[in-house]
Amino acid sequence: MIHAEDAPVNHPTIDLGCGTFCQLNYDSVISSALAIAVTMVIAIIIARALRPDRPGRLQALAEWMFSYVRRTADENAPDAPYLVPIAATIGFYILIANYLDFFPITLIPNVHPANTDINQTAAMAIVVFILVNAYSIRRRGVLGYLHHLTRPFELPIWARAGFTVLNVIEEIAKPATLALRLFGNLLAGLLMIYVITLLLGNLPYVGPWLTGPIFLAIWKLFDVLFIGLIQAFIFMLLTMVYFGLAREGLEAEHSH
Amino acid sequence: MDHFAAAMIAFGIALGGGAIGAAIGDGLVGNATINGVARQPEARGQLQGIMFIIIGLVEGMYFINLAFGALFVFAIGK
Repeated sequence: MIHAEDAPVNHPTIDLGCGTFCQLNYDSVISSALAIAVTMVIAIIIARALRPDRPGRLQALAEWMFSYVRRTADENAPDAPYLVPIAATIGFYILIANYLDFFPITLIPNVHPANTDINQTAAMAIVVFILVNAYSIRRRGVLGYLHHLTRPFELPIWARAGFTVLNVIEEIAKPATLALRLFGNLLAGLLMIYVITLLLGNLPYVGPWLTGPIFLAIWKLFDVLFIGLIQAFIFMLLTMVYFGLAREGLEAEHSH
Repeated sequence: MDHFAAAMIAFGIALGGGAIGAAIGDGLVGNATINGVARQPEARGQLQGIMFIIIGLVEGMYFINLAFGALFVFAIGK
């Protein structure tokens, strides 16, 4: 019988004693610390391998990814401070944290892929939300920011009151969907690994050495390598797109 | 009927509905991509990148559905 990689539906928690939502999932802290450590090691390896005169294969890949981030950031929000390092760090960290799922790290006690906890993805989404709104307020001023929430500007005042509610809901929905999309994809992938191991890995005679490993390998190749990459890329791209949306119409408003 | 069976049935209905939506969305993305490639065959590489991003966005909703359904079922079943 194959030991099933248990999906982290119930996290072990420490109650901090200040209400229902005031708990610490210490397994998520451990696993995100693991992901951060691996990310830093890989980043240091890439930085050590940099040769300005004779670029290697690793350097070419890193430069291609970084130039893509810089180009997209310039297209969306060219004047946003620190957007390129923020987006590149978020994308790289999520990519490494997702790819750690390729190894059976859930067999280690209290470790699971870091993004399968809603608190982990919500933390990153809230950071993005705060930075985007701080950037918007800095560019427009507080009154300009509040005025921008009442867009579209060409409608009569009673219609703009209704649109204000929609705009506020849209602002809140951005980080919520950002966090839930990544969390849902990763948790569903891990649940599928669990189900495959239980159903196909425990078949009599052929399960432990034939059907279980084969289907597990197929699913991990698809889910981890493909979905993990796409989701990391989408999170990074949406970060930059939200920065771009935060300054939309800025030139047009200043011109008249 | 106990709570676990009710949760399983609800999970199945939610999964089916979500799959319908995700499949329609994927079909629309594929349709638009085929149209784009038929009009401009040289834009195939660009369009494929965009297609995979949109598919990731569309299927994100379905995976949210799946993860939350499983979360509720497992939480009730425990």
